[in-house]
Amino acid sequence: MLNFLVFCCIVLPFIAGLTLYRVPGDATRKILAPATVVVMAMAAIGLGANGPFHLEARNFLGLPLDAAFTFLDFILLVYILFLGWNLRSRLVMGMTVLQLAGLVYLKGVLTNQAAPVTGFAPDGLSLIMVIIISIVGGLITIYSLGYMDIHEEHLRLRASRQPRFFAIIFCFLGAMNGLVLCNNLAWMFFFWEVTTLCSFFLISHDRTETANANAFRALWMNVLGGLAFVSAMLFIQKSLGTLSTEIVLQKMAALDIKSTAMLMPFAFLCLAAFTKSAQVPFESWLCGAMVAPTPVSALLHSATMVKAGTYLLLRMAPAFAGTTMSTIVALFGAFTFVGTCMLAVSQSDAKKILAYSTIANLGLIIACVGINTAASMVAATMIIVYHSVSKGLLFMCVGSIEQRIGSRDIEDMRGLYSAMPRTATITAIGIFTMMLPPFGMLIGKWMAIEAIARATQAMTPILFFIALGSAFTVLFWARWAGILISSANLREYPVRGIHRPTVIFALRTLCGVALLFSFISPLVLKDFVGPSVSGVYARFNLRAEGFIPGANFTGAEGYSWIYLLFALLALGVWFAWRASRRVPEKAHSLPYFSGLAVKRDGKVGFNGPMNVFEPAHLSNCYPTQYFGEEKITRGIDVISTAFLIVLVGGLL
Amino acid sequence: MRFVESMIKKSRLMSPWMIHFDCGSCNGCDIEVLACLTPLYDVERFGVVNTGNPKHADVLLVTGTVNHRNRHVLKQLYEQMPGPKAVVSIGACNLSGGVFKDSYNVLNGAHTVIPVDVFVPGCPPKPEAIIDGVITALGVLKAKMGMGPAPEPALMPGDADAAKPAAAFGES
Amino acid sequence: MLSILGALGGLILAPFAGGLLSGVDRRLTARLQSRAGPPLLQPFYDVLKLFGKEPKVTNAWLVFSAYVYLIASAFSLFIFFMGGDLLLLFFVLTIGAVFQVVGAICVPSPYSQVGAQRELLLMLAYEPILILVFVGFAMCTGSFMISDVFRLDSPLLLKMPLLFLALGYALTIKLRKSPFDISAGHHGHQELVRGVQTEYSGPYLALIEIGHWLDLVLILGLCALFWHTSGIGMCILVAASLFTEILIDNITARLTWQWMVQKQSLLAGMGFALVNLLWLYVA
Repeated sequence: MLNFLVFCCIVLPFIAGLTLYRVPGDATRKILAPATVVVMAMAAIGLGANGPFHLEARNFLGLPLDAAFTFLDFILLVYILFLGWNLRSRLVMGMTVLQLAGLVYLKGVLTNQAAPVTGFAPDGLSLIMVIIISIVGGLITIYSLGYMDIHEEHLRLRASRQPRFFAIIFCFLGAMNGLVLCNNLAWMFFFWEVTTLCSFFLISHDRTETANANAFRALWMNVLGGLAFVSAMLFIQKSLGTLSTEIVLQKMAALDIKSTAMLMPFAFLCLAAFTKSAQVPFESWLCGAMVAPTPVSALLHSATMVKAGTYLLLRMAPAFAGTTMSTIVALFGAFTFVGTCMLAVSQSDAKKILAYSTIANLGLIIACVGINTAASMVAATMIIVYHSVSKGLLFMCVGSIEQRIGSRDIEDMRGLYSAMPRTATITAIGIFTMMLPPFGMLIGKWMAIEAIARATQAMTPILFFIALGSAFTVLFWARWAGILISSANLREYPVRGIHRPTVIFALRTLCGVALLFSFISPLVLKDFVGPSVSGVYARFNLRAEGFIPGANFTGAEGYSWIYLLFALLALGVWFAWRASRRVPEKAHSLPYFSGLAVKRDGKVGFNGPMNVFEPAHLSNCYPTQYFGEEKITRGIDVISTAFLIVLVGGLL
Repeated sequence: MRFVESMIKKSRLMSPWMIHFDCGSCNGCDIEVLACLTPLYDVERFGVVNTGNPKHADVLLVTGTVNHRNRHVLKQLYEQMPGPKAVVSIGACNLSGGVFKDSYNVLNGAHTVIPVDVFVPGCPPKPEAIIDGVITALGVLKAKMGMGPAPEPALMPGDADAAKPAAAFGES
Repeated sequence: MLSILGALGGLILAPFAGGLLSGVDRRLTARLQSRAGPPLLQPFYDVLKLFGKEPKVTNAWLVFSAYVYLIASAFSLFIFFMGGDLLLLFFVLTIGAVFQVVGAICVPSPYSQVGAQRELLLMLAYEPILILVFVGFAMCTGSFMISDVFRLDSPLLLKMPLLFLALGYALTIKLRKSPFDISAGHHGHQELVRGVQTEYSGPYLALIEIGHWLDLVLILGLCALFWHTSGIGMCILVAASLFTEILIDNITARLTWQWMVQKQSLLAGMGFALVNLLWLYVA
């Protein structure tokens, strides 16, 4: 049974992807894609319900899996080498050759005689990741079905490129599931490189000049990460004699003093994770990835790709708990958080705001990982889970809005509530789930601050960064939410839009998931996150001092408390909603314009000279003179590079 | 509930927030209106706050000559005030057009555009007269709520001899 | 159970206390300007009158926002009376502040837009300070729970005097007292009418006003926590804080937002907080 579920999560998407590629046609796609998504989601929920397990998985259909993965690894790297050749990039080719050399040495010399490694050993963290990837990723796939139709209509393509698009999307989802379920680092590396390659293809999907350039940037940065990953594997195999994540963690926990040589591979793993999670100074690839069709951004930012980096860090964090390296990681993450929050404040491009906010939240996760106590791990996991859901939702919303109004500048979204009230409301809900309690993201942030305040090392600067960053977060979210629902009419009524049913279905379902998940956040915490973390930290007997399940929820009976509070809050909001519905139509009045307000075509303005209607032009305050990209990006990059040098160089 | 209602009615008389609109006066009346807020007259004793926003105001103090351009503004300001509300027309020009009466662009008084409750004549009226006007406006509100007799009917500009200059209503 | 009833009782009394304090504020302000000032109960008259006014709004979200603001303020005060988690209290308070701004932005009115942008900058100025102050509490008591403050033997003021000052900054900003009244000043209506509150009117403005009273009570309550050991001490702290706020309100002119965020909040407020936190960390 377990074999089958794991098969459905990892291999089935690849098969579905290849089928979609080989058998093009709308009908196949419209049936096969949703069916695969449903099977994946059910398999993921099945795995989650089953709980943590061990699966040796030595053979698959009679093939030795280890050898198969080695073979695939080489094929993949050779392909990337070929890509590098095509792109005329010495950088990519050089790094790929180095990776190949490392892999040859690893497979040929180091692991030749090594003991076999358990294939899959997922714990609560992996399982919740699989659920998130399958559900959020699946919904994004369903959304793409409708989105890509309109997208290709706009581009006026002669031949549809959707088969290729969906093939890559499914491979991406399969690879992510594989990455989080695998216990063997070598296998993980294969999936890691698959996500790199998939993101390269997806970013360059539209084949414009910018798309190609940005895809190339994503490729070389992630190949750099891959190189760091290979080096880490080499070091780990050499010093600890195994590539099994579980055993590596056990051995590292048993060490009293962690020498430089022991920590070196983990520094490299951190580097790999930072590139994949687009932390500063590598943030440019993720910002550049916005040129791709919006479902790609949704996928990259929410459940897949960037979360792979943070997942790797979370997985490996216990190995370097209590070291100075860990503190540097925390400082680095907190710095990324505040830096990118500042950058987001001066942006008016919705996708850019979302991109910077993603990087910021990943920074917060990394700060929690660096704090490296059980409590901070819980916080980090919570943020990963809820960020995936909300960010996926927000990207999908921005995609729909862009297809409707032809712009993704938030200034152009003023009055969106009149044009598409439902989507505007869903987007606003998405924003509130990112920034306000009782939604999961905020619970995560709350726990993060509590965890950091309990940490001993470098707490003050980290908290300073986080406190400042949080305030910036409120600034850029709140004004966007306000713009979305702005309107000069008392009420607006939905009109039939251009969007396909799949798009509408995906938006509403994910919005529902975001709300529902937030209200079951204590359960998620108790059943998935808590056990996984307390398991790790108890099993390896590390610094678990700060952790009581629900310490953040005021003690042992905390769960019931938090429910009571949130139920009251929900009741209050419902009451407010009802009160707002009850305002009579005659209570409507135009906004105060010094007595000159005139409304025409839903826009408010005044009659200027010659009685010509002048609509009012309103705009947010974007403090670009302080936080503009061109002003501070360089500074942020320099400081973060310094952090990275200290991280790796400090060990030498 | 009835207690709350009677409290609300009483409170209306205790807290007349004002908005002051100048239809194009020579600023003589405006200065006198603002003088009411100074420590010497301290109109906040009666709960008066100068809000500058029709959406918050209860009493509209309007000064200056109403003309064809600004009557729309005056009307919209009045309409944007949530009821119950009162209007106090201040100064000769606002009462009847004053010295500009019968000019080609002048409407003869605010009462031609919006319903005015109290007229405060003068060119300009003294702050005491303006405060008295506001208090009289509260009396009008009170009467409207059925809480007392209406104040003495104010002298309507139209009641007097139309040929006489409006300034005659104020002190010379 | 008893604590819940107590907290509910406190919540019911709080608007009365807040309104009265606000009356004292207006009266004192008037005296400082050598005026007689309104009756002490003036804020109550104002709010009751507003409740009796006809509703007039531009869109229904404004109504929703006004209610959410009041509910969030009441909720954070409830958490305070329950002795709950300071961070939770802070986040719930943020809901209210955010919705007040959202309500102002969702109306296409230039005045409420400018007010809302400025209010967001106010939030940018006070939020980090509040978080750092709460961290200071956590460093002294070992948890973020307010109830744990009362387990300490000595007043917090001795350990975190600079954090008290920083809190003073944050409170002045949160209460929009001059020199930080850039978003909705009583005194600045020629420039931006009532800023963020311009479009709230009648009963909805009354809700905002009551929410503001609750915020005032909460904020003074936070000040009182610094001298939890004696009832008189708490009263002294509250009275001193309130009086200082009013005095500063009356003797300072408005700042630009750049000054507020850079010099006052980041340098002075955060500076005080950080120095005190480092001191706590070392001690």
